[in-house]
Amino acid sequence: MSTPESPKETTGTGKVGVYVCYCGGNISDQVEVEKVCESLRQLPEVGVARSNMFMCSDPGQELIIEDIKSGKVDRVVIASCSPRLHETTFRSAISRAGGNPYLYEHANVREQVSWVHHGSEATAKANRLVAAAVAKAALSEPLQPIRVDVQQRAAVLGGGVAGMKAALELADRGLEVILIERSPFLGGQVARLRHLAPFGEDAAAVIAELAGRVQEHPAITVQTCAQVEGFDGYIGQFRLQVRRRPPEAEEYADQLAAGSAAGAQLGDVVPFVGIMPQRLPENLEEQEITVGAIILATGMRPYQPLRGEYGYGDLPQVLTLPEFTRLWHAARSQRQGDLLVVQGRRIRHLAIIHCVGSRHIPGVHDEGGRGYLNEYCSRTCCTASLYTANLIRQTYPNTRVYEFYRDMRAFGRGQEELYAQASDSQVMFFRFRAGEEPQISPTSEHPTAPVLIRVKDVLTFNEELEVMADLVVLAVGQEANPVPGLVELMKLPVGADRFLLEVHPKLRPVEVAVAGIYLAGTCQAPFDVGETCSAAAAAAVKAAAVLTRGYVELDPFVAEVDLSRCQGTGACVEACLADGALTMVDMTVDGQNVRRAQVNPALCLGCGACVAVCPHNAINVKGWTLKQYEAMVDAIVAEDLAA
Amino acid sequence: MSSRVNPQIRDELTAFGFKDGDKCYSCSTCTVTCPLATPENPFPRKIVRYLQLGLQDKLRQSPEPWLCYYCGDCSTQCPRGADPGETMMAARRYLTALYDWTGFAKKFYMSEKFELMAVGYVALLVGLIMLMFNTGQPDWQHADVNSLWPARYVELADLAMAAVLSFLLLSNVWRAYRAVLGELRGKIPMRLYLGQLKELLVNFLTQKKFAGCSDRMPWIIHLLIMTGYTTVFILVVVLLNGLTFDNLRFQRGWPEYPLLHPIRLLGYYATVAILLGTSYALWGRWKRTKPAYQHSHPTDWMFLILLQLTTLTGIFIHFGRLLDWPLFTYALYVIHMMVAVPMLLLEVPFAKWAHLAYRPLILYLLKVKEVYQAQNTAS
Repeated sequence: MSTPESPKETTGTGKVGVYVCYCGGNISDQVEVEKVCESLRQLPEVGVARSNMFMCSDPGQELIIEDIKSGKVDRVVIASCSPRLHETTFRSAISRAGGNPYLYEHANVREQVSWVHHGSEATAKANRLVAAAVAKAALSEPLQPIRVDVQQRAAVLGGGVAGMKAALELADRGLEVILIERSPFLGGQVARLRHLAPFGEDAAAVIAELAGRVQEHPAITVQTCAQVEGFDGYIGQFRLQVRRRPPEAEEYADQLAAGSAAGAQLGDVVPFVGIMPQRLPENLEEQEITVGAIILATGMRPYQPLRGEYGYGDLPQVLTLPEFTRLWHAARSQRQGDLLVVQGRRIRHLAIIHCVGSRHIPGVHDEGGRGYLNEYCSRTCCTASLYTANLIRQTYPNTRVYEFYRDMRAFGRGQEELYAQASDSQVMFFRFRAGEEPQISPTSEHPTAPVLIRVKDVLTFNEELEVMADLVVLAVGQEANPVPGLVELMKLPVGADRFLLEVHPKLRPVEVAVAGIYLAGTCQAPFDVGETCSAAAAAAVKAAAVLTRGYVELDPFVAEVDLSRCQGTGACVEACLADGALTMVDMTVDGQNVRRAQVNPALCLGCGACVAVCPHNAINVKGWTLKQYEAMVDAIVAEDLAA
Repeated sequence: MSSRVNPQIRDELTAFGFKDGDKCYSCSTCTVTCPLATPENPFPRKIVRYLQLGLQDKLRQSPEPWLCYYCGDCSTQCPRGADPGETMMAARRYLTALYDWTGFAKKFYMSEKFELMAVGYVALLVGLIMLMFNTGQPDWQHADVNSLWPARYVELADLAMAAVLSFLLLSNVWRAYRAVLGELRGKIPMRLYLGQLKELLVNFLTQKKFAGCSDRMPWIIHLLIMTGYTTVFILVVVLLNGLTFDNLRFQRGWPEYPLLHPIRLLGYYATVAILLGTSYALWGRWKRTKPAYQHSHPTDWMFLILLQLTTLTGIFIHFGRLLDWPLFTYALYVIHMMVAVPMLLLEVPFAKWAHLAYRPLILYLLKVKEVYQAQNTAS
């Protein structure tokens, strides 16, 4: 199909401008675009109907702008691809021409027509969809975006690396931050590590630096032993009920004891525990804070193997990687010779098993007592295992290391090198298939090695191999730290993997569906420390963009009460899906004190549930009124357009 | 039946030249690259893996190391620098030690010092014997080796040495045969073994498999050394006394055969072939001209040096005889024997030279196995 030359125009009586896109053939190969323009010109509402090879291109947008400026058009209908692609493009074109961007309708004649229909049927359907858009546009009112003032203060939930990093990023931009941490300690999971793979930074030094800066920063208020118990409001104006309480008897007892045993003062690093920035609260304290944005940095927890999983819990020689890290730390401090000695036992052969608690396959793996499977890859365990293996080989050359993996995923900077280095230092690798995990059993066969590992090794032509070991380390994956309370309070979306879910993994990676709430770090997905800090910085910048502007603009497609019709039945309030978006309030209407429905536009989702239940047609969603729907339906079923 | 991973063996393998094999992450690029690997006998990755894990029994049963002629393509292609070609070489050394029941081979490979001492002792012994046992009546008029060490006595010594050599080599060959065929050994009927004997001969004489490598130069060099060596072996061991035929007797008396005498011509061919081949290999190993020459185990040097020294002293004896310098000739003959005898006695059954038996044997056995299995599937 050729490019239309010198598009004709027919001026109707109305001022709706219709612009149909060829989409370079994507649409015009199936839809006779010129015919669509021709039949729409017959409609009384239509002022002009034009086509272009690419409406989203500059020349395409210029068509619209000229028509608006010349006064031929005061509302616009675009027939092109999905509005998800170019709605904002066309709205801003209208704004640039001096028009109201909400006097705009969109007919999707690509995904809904040309990609799924052929020939005359396609043209007929396009006709009707565009006619419906015209009918709706003719009834559109000019709207203004909703403007909400913003409290220039943020709450960060979680005092791990992500939370501290996000708090610092915000505070460095001059914003006030309240950092809320459930435990008495800052540092989170990173505090429980020794070295950070792949480059081997000292974990304690990393958290000490972050926590030091957090404590010193005048704009950051830290609240440990604190939890969010109540939540309402909307972007710019969130209200949080924060409760601080002293830990109960057993809670954090070990960690607190470790701190006292080490004689740690406030602000000191307690190995494998974290940093206590302030005293424990003596009594229950409650307070309400208002913030403009919230950053969730609730983190992850290492997978805890089930009893008997790879012999865990049954055999004292089977440990998780975090558990081993603590023993390693102790062994290092009293190093003797070239052989690793753990709890008095000489470790000649050490095995590491990958993918423990990750990459479960339904039908292959058993839920056990957990009630769920972790189908995702935890992404960090391969590298952590390789790092650990290298560390052992370097420090204790007489301790041999064996790694059992399903797939080696040493992606990213500095990680492939760890893999090569491990091979080079004679770490032996074995590869098992899902469902054929290595079998761990105790044995008395060998004088020193108490554990026998059997594996069907893919690398050795699936032959069954036996490896003797003194210690088995399980490279456990990451699980989302459960925060059911926050999920319930804030209506947070949670993915099938039980991590908090972003809006779009690529285009909006740190935002959740609730505006003003952002994700930082491993509450979202398994990350390493570097990725966590990147995510935290991104979330902070996203929040800062809102907070520093002082206000936010929201789409005006929210419910509106027609007080001339409202009888105060309250049906809409009951049907409302967004807490607080609709309330019954006392007011004076025509000199009478009555109780009527009132909309909080910042909270309204524009879903229309209220519209459907109102017995008096007294509530409508702006931009999507019942009248507009009726006009669209009429246009779709109209007979004269059936061509 | 599961195999036990044995890291101790892995340590021992270093002495056999297993160095970069640990770097292998089993991508199999080497196996895909190799023009000689087959689905039934894939290598080098399989062998690299067995060595990495110290799977000694698996390795003992593997024919693959003998199917490789070390063209080095795999090492060039390896993405991790694991040098699979050299790892195959290490596997051949290790197999030579595994087949050898005396334990000598293992000592040879694991200790350079032991190898030097063994060669030195045998050389001294040979020298002493030659000084002690001779006619005592050298011909000072003409250079005639027979006047001091008559051919018929030397032949007796040759035969004795050949018997010892054969016993050692064949007993190891027997062990290789048992290991490679495993349980099939008893099942294959004798007529199949006999029917395929020509395969043994063809592989020994032509090394036709070697020609399958992408670089043909090593094959030619190998063929030169092999034919030269075989020719001269027949001349000096089998035909030393001419099997009682005067005209077949190896030239060591006086006067020399005429220039175009077949024995003399054969001698020249052998000498030139060996000198060319060993010089090329020595130069290559010295300069590391190709992947196969990147890593040289002490036994590789010993093999080439002994062979070249034997040939050079042989040439000088020939010159001595042509010039008719008796003393020069007799002295060099002693030195020649001091080099040649340790080479034959030690290198052939216990070191690099053993491959002259193992390689054709394994190829032959694989052929026998293939025919047997084809017949079995057919019936």
